[in-house]
Amino acid sequence: MAAGGGGVADPLSPAGVPCAFSPLNQAYFALASADGLLRVWETANNRLHQEYVPSAHLSGTCTCLAWAPARLQAKESPQRKKRKSEAIGTSNQIDLLALGTAVGSILLYSTVKGELHSKLISGGHDNKVNCIQWHQDNGCLYSCSDDKHIVEWNTQTCKVKCKWKGDNSSVSSLCISPDGKMLLSAGRTIKLWVLETKEIYRHFTGHATPVSSLIFTTIRPPNESQPFDGITGLYFLSGAVHDRLLNVWQVRSENKEKNAVMSFTVTDEPVYIDLTLSENKEEPVKLAVVCRDGQVHLFEHILNGYCKKPLTSNCTIQIATPGKGKKSTPKPIPILAAGFCSDKMSLLLVYGNWFQPIIERVVRTPVMNSEAKVLVPGVPGHHAAIKPAPPQTEEVESKRKLGENEISIEERLGALDIDTKKEKDDLPQTNSFPVLLTQGLESNDFEMLNKVLQTRNLNLIKRTVLRMPLHAVIPLLQELTKRLQGHPNSAVLMVQWLKCVLTVHASYLSTLPDLVPQLGTLYQLMESRVKTFQKLSHLHGKLILLITQVTASEKTKGMACPAQKAKLVYEEESSEEESDDEIAEKDSDDNWDEDEEEKESEKDEDLNEENEEEEEDAEEKDEENGEEDRDVASEKELNGDSDLDPENESEEE
Amino acid sequence: MAGYKPAAIQTYPVLGEKITQDTLYWNNYKTPVQIKEFGAVSKVDFSPQPPYNYAVTASSRIHIYGRYSQEPIKTFSRFKDTAYCATFRQDGRLLVAGSEDGGVQLFDISGRAPLRQFEGHTKAVHTVDFTADKYHVVSGADDYTVKLWDIPNSKEILTFKEHSDYVRCGCASKLNPDLFVTGSYDHTVKMFDSRTNESVISVEHGQPVESVLLFPSGGLLVSAGGRYVKIWDMLKGGQLLVSLKNHHKTVTCLYLSSSGQRLLSGSLDRKVKVYSTTSYKVVHSFDYAASILSLALAHEDETIVVGMTNGILSVKHRKSEAKKDSLPRRRRPAYRTFIKGKNYMKQRDDILINRPSKKHLELYDRDLKNFRVSKALDRVLEPSCTIKTPEITVSIIKELNRRGVLANALAGRDEKEISRVLNFLIRNLSQPRFAPVLINAAEIIIDIYLPVIGQSPVVDKKFLLLQGLVEKEIDYQRELLETLGMMDMLFATMTRKESTSVLQHTSDGFLENKKMES
Repeated sequence: MAAGGGGVADPLSPAGVPCAFSPLNQAYFALASADGLLRVWETANNRLHQEYVPSAHLSGTCTCLAWAPARLQAKESPQRKKRKSEAIGTSNQIDLLALGTAVGSILLYSTVKGELHSKLISGGHDNKVNCIQWHQDNGCLYSCSDDKHIVEWNTQTCKVKCKWKGDNSSVSSLCISPDGKMLLSAGRTIKLWVLETKEIYRHFTGHATPVSSLIFTTIRPPNESQPFDGITGLYFLSGAVHDRLLNVWQVRSENKEKNAVMSFTVTDEPVYIDLTLSENKEEPVKLAVVCRDGQVHLFEHILNGYCKKPLTSNCTIQIATPGKGKKSTPKPIPILAAGFCSDKMSLLLVYGNWFQPIIERVVRTPVMNSEAKVLVPGVPGHHAAIKPAPPQTEEVESKRKLGENEISIEERLGALDIDTKKEKDDLPQTNSFPVLLTQGLESNDFEMLNKVLQTRNLNLIKRTVLRMPLHAVIPLLQELTKRLQGHPNSAVLMVQWLKCVLTVHASYLSTLPDLVPQLGTLYQLMESRVKTFQKLSHLHGKLILLITQVTASEKTKGMACPAQKAKLVYEEESSEEESDDEIAEKDSDDNWDEDEEEKESEKDEDLNEENEEEEEDAEEKDEENGEEDRDVASEKELNGDSDLDPENESEEE
Repeated sequence: MAGYKPAAIQTYPVLGEKITQDTLYWNNYKTPVQIKEFGAVSKVDFSPQPPYNYAVTASSRIHIYGRYSQEPIKTFSRFKDTAYCATFRQDGRLLVAGSEDGGVQLFDISGRAPLRQFEGHTKAVHTVDFTADKYHVVSGADDYTVKLWDIPNSKEILTFKEHSDYVRCGCASKLNPDLFVTGSYDHTVKMFDSRTNESVISVEHGQPVESVLLFPSGGLLVSAGGRYVKIWDMLKGGQLLVSLKNHHKTVTCLYLSSSGQRLLSGSLDRKVKVYSTTSYKVVHSFDYAASILSLALAHEDETIVVGMTNGILSVKHRKSEAKKDSLPRRRRPAYRTFIKGKNYMKQRDDILINRPSKKHLELYDRDLKNFRVSKALDRVLEPSCTIKTPEITVSIIKELNRRGVLANALAGRDEKEISRVLNFLIRNLSQPRFAPVLINAAEIIIDIYLPVIGQSPVVDKKFLLLQGLVEKEIDYQRELLETLGMMDMLFATMTRKESTSVLQHTSDGFLENKKMES
């Protein structure tokens, strides 16, 4: 958390951590994390294979890495030829890993020996190395750097073979052509170099920001009618920083290329790209692009000429935690890298955090023909690797509709529920609370302590207290003492912590010889606070009564509105009055009076019944107010009198 | 007539962090100036001579900055590879630096090309320093060796091969030209004497040593490595005095403040801690944006410069204190008349008649004196008073209650005034220091205004808020009572233990109280 974050990252540097699958069979996955460590994972069983700490890992962190091409006894494919380097041995294991660092040096790390093989320094770069590429055939290494130069290294003698200026600004990416005679380099513009003479063969312009990735997508030109000179007609792909488009370029016989042939859109800046090379005209190129937002986009496209509209992905993979029940929303887990296996069908996905990534193999590449899929561990077609962290489920999103012959998402979700019932659903966490807590207590870091102590999850509190080291118990109690004095809102949480500490570590605390002086202040503090408990409860009772009264009066107010209608009844009586008048003509005055009185009393009763309470209240209030007014007035008079007196006296004095 | 006694304002201890002399001193810096370097800033060193320029080592360059300039005055860039540890000589005229390719180069501040090049190390030289006599340079390298060089004829004088891992830090004594100290990744710090060909003292730090520092007297040595900072007494032959563990990541740099009273340590956890060198307690702490690799203070602590892994150099200047010593203001004639004869000394036959000194009364006190209780309460319920000094408000309420006129003072208020009182209650009722007084006041308010409840929705809402607060506080206190019960149990086991033992002392009063209650 602290190592990676916080640093003000260069806005124009490519995102993501340097990582790569080993070539040929993807047996290993190398990842250089932000804390400067190189870790090599076994993809088959997700185990840590090796860990290496470069000596200058604090100042010169690893910026890029590249596996040496595999050395094979027999040629298998034209682009992966046997690499000669007899100095190390002739086993066909993949062993060398080149690491470029932020200070400009390049380290060659041997995974067989598990140690540093050699170091390429002298005459090389004096600034951050941006990209390293191995030559397929002759064991050379090409690197480019922020110091504007491209360097060709001889890896056996560890000497510079050639160094030339590659761009006016920093050179950010490199790629070697399939036949090994050309080199693509990119800063802001992409240049194609002839490797023998180090001359520029072609320019490609089109990205506004530094190009972060370059990769050739074809090894043969699509139309075989023309003679193939090794480079003309090939397609390559480029992605840039802050750019959501991957451009595809074609090397043509014309000199200057203005625009890209086509482009792929993705949701965020690409951080890792892998593809299967298409070897003939009919075979589509399969492309897996990992974006900064943690999604993988899969494309499948036959490269044949222009396409104006940006292509959207055939399939998008996103990994999420299973939600707890229906209410909670699943949290996304970022995918770090994705690579096609050598059979071009299955896909290796690396996800989680860089500290402990989870590597999983998806057997049937979802891009093949299905359009939407939910991958669940245990469902056929999905082969889950052994995972150290709580297993996750994947969701494959798609913007299109479901295929008819697919199993519906509901069914798959059903399978998912059964599968994940017993499993935890937290994100894999590296910043565990006990560690944070002890660190916070030791360095007295306010923010860190806040982060830990302000959790509301009781279970989490309990687990944290259980796992915290014993020597941190007393400092924690002292910290809690400080925090107990605040507002009840936050202090209630602290009491939970305190209770947990007391219950979990009771035996430890009771063995402390100086427990009483240690906890004395805490005890006194709490005792002084609860002194007001009785009075407070008393006050609370009063307040409750008051509030209920208020709500009750509000209710009666609500009732009063329909009660207004009662007055209409009174108006109806006016019609009766007319009849009364008629009667009055006949009857004596006395009788009329009596009637009137009766009716009036009836009216009053009605009204009284309806808004009795309200009137009474109002009357009372009026009276009260009147009295109070009078009181105040008299008080003021008194005060006024008394006001005068002392001043007069003082004046007299 | 007896004089009026002003209402006693109860003072309470201030909660939270105490403001010490140190926090005032170390907070008295301007907002930092940030300078972007080419790579991680591995070393910052101030020239010991005015104008106190400083050299910054980052990537393959050494920049020299003036104290207030943000552009480098001078740049040394003739390094084939990463440069390390550019250090000024005591007179500020020479600069020495190591390099990743194993060379040590000596520069004149005014020149550009190196004056001397010391070739001999086979691997990166991470530490160089001048000895006290100014004519020698000590260097430590990744080839496990420490070398002493002669400047005039650029020859190697001595080589020490006692370390068994990278030598990454070193420091020469300021007093003795023959003594210097190096720290290594083999977990040891060794003090060498150029007269003996071997180390004279070796101490075991326990972690790879990232930085060492000698006190100006040379008697104390500070080493940093892993999460620890350790202080050693060299005069006692390397006895460990103190071990400090205040960072949660590797400590990378150390510096001593110019007075020698404070020790600063910077760490990868993005903090700089300031320790007192007498108590070895942390007295202050700075936060930075990235992991810290280097740290330096200017003469008289005027500037703090910190170099970080992301290549940012943070420069903090002390706020100027020029305004303080302005000339004493000339007072008006009326004032001079007023103080006339103040310092008249009593002669022998004089009879001194003291005029009763007029007491200055606060406004609320004047009101109280004149029995305008309602007005006095109004005064202390002004927002300026309730927010800044709630204790005055509470004290006045308490005083009114003592006089038995609190009900009078609270009565007869309109909606706006009563909601102001209730606001104050809501804000302060949960504070244990105010609670007893305010609970009483709340009850009185309820008694007074019970009949008119329901007339104003504003006031009703306040009452609802108050009720919510009181409910929470009661819940909280209930929790506290439960916790107290737990603690009683714990303490009870303690006392039982004590009573079973022969020694029977019950030192703490409240413990006894507890027993009495139970």
